[in-house]
Parts: sequence; structure tokens; C-alpha cells
Amino acid sequence: MHETNAFRPTRKSLMKTDPALFSALVAVWLSFAIFIFLPVIRLLITTFYVDGIFSLANMRKVLGTSYNIKALYGSLILATSVSIAGTFLGYIFALAVTRTALPRPLKVLLGAVTILPLISPPFTSSISLTLALGPNGMLLKALGIGDFSIYGFLGTWISETLTYFPVAFMVISAILNTMSATLDDAALSLGASRWRMFTTITIPLSLPGIGNSILLLFGASLADFATPLILGGHTFPVLPTEAYLMITGMFDLRGGATLSFLLLVPALLVFFLQRMLLGNKSFVSVTGKNGARTEFAKLPTALSVFICAVCLFIVAFILYLYAIILWGSFVKVWSVNNTFTLEHYAYVFKHGQKAISDTLLIAFLSTVIGSVLAVVIGYVAQRKQFFGKRFFEFTSMLNYALPGTVVGIAYIIAFNQKPILLTGTLSILVAAYVFRYYATGIRSVIASLEQIDPALEEASMSLGASSVRTFTHVTIPLIIPAVLAGMRYLFIHCMTAISATIFLVSVRWTLLTTRILESMTELQFSQASAFSMVLIVIVFLADALMLYLLKVTTSKFHKPQEISYEKVGA
Amino acid sequence: MKNVQKVLVLLILIALCSTVLFAQGVQEKPKAGGTLNVYSIMPEKYATKIFEEFTKDTGIKVNFVRLSSGEALARLIAEKANPQVDALWGGPADTYEAGVLEGVFDVYSPSEAEKVPAQFRSKDGYWTGIGIIPLTFLSNAKYLKDKGLNPPASWTDLLDPAYRNSLQMADARTSGTATERIYSLVKVYGEDEAYAYQKKLHQNVQLYTKGGAGGAMPIATGQAASGVFYIVDALDIQQQGYDLVISYPKEGVTYGVEASGIIKGAKNKAAAQALMDWASSKRLGEVMVANLINYIPTRPDVTVTNPSLDMSQVKLLEADSTWKGENRTRFVERWIAEVIQQ
Repeated sequence: MHETNAFRPTRKSLMKTDPALFSALVAVWLSFAIFIFLPVIRLLITTFYVDGIFSLANMRKVLGTSYNIKALYGSLILATSVSIAGTFLGYIFALAVTRTALPRPLKVLLGAVTILPLISPPFTSSISLTLALGPNGMLLKALGIGDFSIYGFLGTWISETLTYFPVAFMVISAILNTMSATLDDAALSLGASRWRMFTTITIPLSLPGIGNSILLLFGASLADFATPLILGGHTFPVLPTEAYLMITGMFDLRGGATLSFLLLVPALLVFFLQRMLLGNKSFVSVTGKNGARTEFAKLPTALSVFICAVCLFIVAFILYLYAIILWGSFVKVWSVNNTFTLEHYAYVFKHGQKAISDTLLIAFLSTVIGSVLAVVIGYVAQRKQFFGKRFFEFTSMLNYALPGTVVGIAYIIAFNQKPILLTGTLSILVAAYVFRYYATGIRSVIASLEQIDPALEEASMSLGASSVRTFTHVTIPLIIPAVLAGMRYLFIHCMTAISATIFLVSVRWTLLTTRILESMTELQFSQASAFSMVLIVIVFLADALMLYLLKVTTSKFHKPQEISYEKVGA
Repeated sequence: MKNVQKVLVLLILIALCSTVLFAQGVQEKPKAGGTLNVYSIMPEKYATKIFEEFTKDTGIKVNFVRLSSGEALARLIAEKANPQVDALWGGPADTYEAGVLEGVFDVYSPSEAEKVPAQFRSKDGYWTGIGIIPLTFLSNAKYLKDKGLNPPASWTDLLDPAYRNSLQMADARTSGTATERIYSLVKVYGEDEAYAYQKKLHQNVQLYTKGGAGGAMPIATGQAASGVFYIVDALDIQQQGYDLVISYPKEGVTYGVEASGIIKGAKNKAAAQALMDWASSKRLGEVMVANLINYIPTRPDVTVTNPSLDMSQVKLLEADSTWKGENRTRFVERWIAEVIQQ
């Protein structure tokens, strides 16, 4: 298999020079073999083997339809637009929180509101968007706009941008937070204008975060099937939706697998593009040589005003969309009988109890296991040199790049027979989440390590600290904000994602998101809203906890620097 | 840095082992007799009530997951080597016919099968019908009043420009309701004429929804004017209190047969057979009538109380499940090529 081939040329030297790295790699490759390669290979066999013979018949059939080609273009255009618009919005929000003079409570509000789209299942916000901007929509009526169609590119783009820009916000603000404020001070005291400081220091130093966010958003949009399913309509087909329709509607597993196989090409392209853009530059800013922490310099006034205006507009819109869902969960029958009632919540806690506890357990396990793996993989990929490193990095991201529908089907095919019999178990759900959504953690760890000069670790060692002490007292504290940021996203995804796991839920293990989708298809709008609100509140609370940890650890991380400054000063 | 890496390796190994441990930990042994695992294509709110009654009658506990018909079939095919469920409950008979071709179902003739008319069960005994659902038009009463329209009473009424960009109906790629619509049109107009009609109809369609009932809520809230649905979905939303009109085309409609069947290799076969026996008895029909579950029972000897389910004034067209199963893929592909992509 791939991994053994990748090792052979360096096995001897690597085993000798770095046995620990060698065993770490073996362990990780082993998990890749089981949870990434095996399903994909089984899927490829399904796609390219017809009656036991290699055949391109499926591929020819799929590529021969103009509608499928249109779907390929649709996917690319959508992913590009979403990644650009989402990263732009995320950057603006990150700047607003880290670099403007907005009062603290407002900043907290910004942070809290931006995670709303992220912590709710994507189809929920699509539904409220339809109610607001769809035909006869409430907002359209209020504004007196008559002829506006949300179905198609526009609606899908708006909804996905709103859903995914918080990812950009999280990744970029983590980077903006770990920059050294003394660079700002130096620039200003050397006479640079605030504009010049912004364009020559803040922007270049945030490039790893921007690149990272574009990659993540492109991947997320490329794989999202729920939003286009609701808002795309028939005029704007995209590949994951077409693949999903082919599998679930036409019973055509081969066709669906083949269609989603096409998605691998753009996913690969983006990945290599990102390596090219960021691979050779140094973004070291935490050098250990800087002095006491000062406040970040504020942005130029005109820019600050623009940023705040955009943020407030977006926040108002998001709050409006969620007010619709909140209202819907408390009324007897949506838009007919608006009497206040708690009966939907009573139903949720009576019939949805198992779904709630199952979802929490699955998300908790996935977050813990995924984060440990993410730290190891991110650390090895950024700090170590070994043969097949890029392939290693790519493999780790493969399940994330593949549309969830396909991962789900691939997992069923691969794990439904001996020796690895997992269908209907908890572990198949956990594995699907871990190997799909730890990607954010990995990227986040890598981006954070890119900013940290290895000289810090070397200095610690040469000053006599053991390597364990160096790792626990230097590396870990430095990357912990990034790890926690990755954990937040992993947990949120495990609570809200549906595309892969909709195929993996079983009579024994069920998820909240599938219950919500169920209520939606059964036209129980109020019940679906109540389920969504419960889910949102749970995730919001868990997220607040992690945010608190993030704050605590970030301030810890700055302490050693202050101490070191005192020592240098003395 | 060697010690660091040792710590890391240890952590990975712990992570990996815990995954495997969980894999072992949750592999429950199937319990004998008392439980039944089911994929239900029938909506959860109906299935919950029906299975509650079944459990009361037989003491067999039912665990179920609700899936769309395509998803259920895709899963049953993927899980063929190690079936996760014992029975499939609800969903159109042509889905069962497709499953039979894939070797998913087992033959079983329920105890009272012969009381169910022959056109409502599989010729070879793979599935048994549990309910009948004709297609119907569902319209927003206020929209009709504002535009001065009568409820649509013919398929051609839907071509009226007054409905421009305001019809919602299901997408043939995902929904059994939509393929039923095509079967109806083919039976009414003949195949070529039916597709010419659908191309014209397309001009008035605002959105093709993924689920068969997906358009019902938009019509109820006035986002859309009218659409074509199975009676069970149309009545359900009307019963919630929305101001809606149900009408039938004079040219006639076909109807879907909701079926049930046992999965080949079922681990709780006796319990699955008990469910099939129960479903073929009068009991199921009575439970549905009592709970306002608006399928027309397949047993002719069950008394239906809801006047909307009285089919004596409706022209029902016969469409054999085998014919549907054989033509389904071709009809859908033609629909994609000629209607959607025009």
C-alpha cells in the first residue's frame, strides 16, 4: 500500500536518526490506512470496476451529460465566491474584534452572533433565509421588493457565506491575536502611518490565516450539499448535490461516486496552490525576542468606521434570521396560529432525549480524539522533514475534501464486512467525524507553528530544559490557542454536520441533525425550530466554555514573555 | 526532542486503541425475539403511532430510523452483507421492486395476505401493500381568491399563466411523489405528449423540492400557489389549520401503494414476520383511521371515515407496480434531459 512504499527509501535512516518520529508516522499512517484509504479504495473499486473489470464506462456516462458539466462549473464558481466573500467578511470581523476601539460588550456580541450560523445545521438557516427572502418573503414584503428569486446561485452564495464566514473569523482572529503588538509600536514610532502599518505589517502577517481560511471555506463549500439542496433550485446544480441526488434518488451509487470523484480535482488544486503560496515564506512573528506586551495599535479611522458598519449590518441580518426560528419554535402552528406554546419543546425533550445524549457523547469523543490527532499530525507536518510529507498532509485532508455523502457511503461499503465490522456502531460515527473534521485543527496548528520560530524551542533546549519540558512549557502553550480554536470547530461540526453521518446513523445511534431534517421533511416547522434551538443552545454553552479556556490559555502564553523581558532588562 | 515524540506516539496509540475499544464495546448482540429493527420510509410521526400500537398488540419493541426511499434502498444495498435491519416499512412499491432486483428482500406471505387485493401486493410475495395514496392538487385558498381562480380541476389548468413562477412540486430525481406525477401524466396523455406538457408546466414552476411534501409548507404560507402531492401529505398540512384547497384533475390520477417487506438475512425474522402479519390484518387500517393517518387502507373491509378519502368521485388510473419499476429510471432520465435542462 501507499504508506509502506512511501517509507522504504528512508526507513533505515529514519529509524536510526529519529525512531520516535518513525513510530509516530507508522501509527498515523495505520489509522489513515483504515479510516481514509480503505473506504476510498472500496469506493474507487465501485466506481471503476464493472463486473470485475476496470472500466471507464461510468466516467464516460457521467461526463457525457451537459448538466453534470454545468454542475462542475457551478461547484467551482460557488466555492470560489464563498471562499472569497467569506474570508473577506471573516477578516473584517476579526479586525473589528482585535483592532478597533469598539466597546468590549459590542465585541463580545460580535463574537457571539457570528457563531450562530456555525452552530446551527446549515439547512436551518437556509429555511429562515427562504422565509425572509424567498417568494412572498417577509423581508421582501417589508422592503417592498417584488420580483426577486432567491433560488439559484445568489441564495446559495448568501447562505453559504453566512454559514462559513465564522470559520474564517475564527482562524484569522486566532492569527491576529498571536501577532506581536510590539511590531505595531515599532512601525508607529518609526513614523509610519496607520495605513502603512496595516498594509505592511498586519496584512502580510495574517496571510497564513487568510490562505488557511480560503482553503477551509473552499473545501467546505465544495462539499456542502444541504444548502444547494434547499436553495440551489434546478437552475444552479452543484456536484455534491447532484451526487447526493444520484445516490438517494436514482439508487445509482456508481454514478454518484463518479460525480463526486470529479470534486477531488479542484480539491487537489487548491491544496497545492496553498502550499505554493505559503510554503516558502517565513511568517515568524513570535520570536521570543520581543518585549512586554502592549495593546495592538488601532486601525485608521476611515477603515474602522467601514468595518464597524459592515459588522453591524451582518449582525443585524443574522439576528433577524434567528429571530424567525426562535419565534417559530414557540408558536402553535407557523403563520396560522401564533399562540405561544411550549408543546414543541416538551416533544423535543420527550422524544428527542436519546438523540440529544447520543449527539453529545459522539461529539465529545470525536473532539478529544480528533484534537490529539490534529496536534500530532500538525506538529509532524510543520516541524519535521520526512519522505512523502506532502502526500502525508494531503492524505490527512482527504476525507475533508470529499463530499460528506460520499464519505458516508464509502464508510458503509468499507465497514460493513469483516474484518472491520463497524456499521451501526458508535465508532463508525466517531471515526467519520474525526477523520473529516480534524482538518481544521491540523490547519490551525500548522498555521500557528508557522508563526513560531523554532529558535524558541532550540533556545529552551540549549538552556538546559529537557525536550519534554520544552514541549510542555514552550510549544504547547504557544499553540494552545490554535488547538482550542480547532477543537471548537471540530466540536461544532460534530454537533451540526449531517452530510456524511446521515448514512451512518442507525437504530442504535441517532443524531439531532437527522431529527431536525426529519421534522423539516415532515413539515413540522415549529418542531424543527425547537430541535434547532435546543441544539444551538447546547453548542453555544459548550462553545462559551471553550472560548473561556482559550482566553485563559492565551493570557498564560503571554506571561513567560513578560518574565523574559524582565530578565533581559535586569 | 525524542522524549516529546515518545509522548506523542503514546497519545496516538491511546487515541487509536480507544477507537478500537469503542468498536468492541458497542457491538451489542442482537437480542432474541422481543425487538425489531426497521427502516421506515413512512414519516416518523405516523410510524411512531403505528409501532406503538403494534408493540401493545404483540409485545415486540420496534427500533426504527426514518429515511427517504432512495436513501433506504441505497443503505439496504450497501448493507447486504450484514443487514442492520429486519424490515422496511412504508415507501412506494416501485422502490421495493427495485430492491427485489438487487436481492434485498425475502419472500414472505403474511397470514391474511389473500384479503389484500392482488394489485396491492408483490406477485412473488416480496412485499405487501399497507396503504394507498392517490395524487391530488393542493392550492392556497387566498392566492386563488386574489387571482380570481377556481381550484384547478384539470392538468391543463396548471398551465394557466396566472400560476407563473408560483407552482412548487417534487423533483423526479429524489421523490416518489414526482415519479408518480410522471406516471399519471403518461397514463393520461401518452408518453411524448406527457413530456411536451411538462415542458410547458416547467414555465410555471418556481421550485422543484427534494421531498414529495416539500412544497406543501410554502403553499400553506403563501410562498407558492399550488402543487401536486400525495393525498396523505396534502391532508396532513390542511389538518394543521392552513387555508388550503384540495382538488382532483378530471383526466384522473394514478396512486401510490405504500408497501412493507422483510429484509433478506434479517436477524429477527420471527418478529419481522409478526409485523407483516399484523400489517395485513384489519388492525393496521383501524389504527390509521383512528389516528388520522390518511392512507387509504389496502384492506377493503376497513371503514374509512374521512370524506376526503372517499374516492368514488375521483378518477383513479391503474398503473401496475412492475410497469412503474421498469420505467422509472428511463422516465426520470428523460425528465432531466427534456424538462430540467431545456
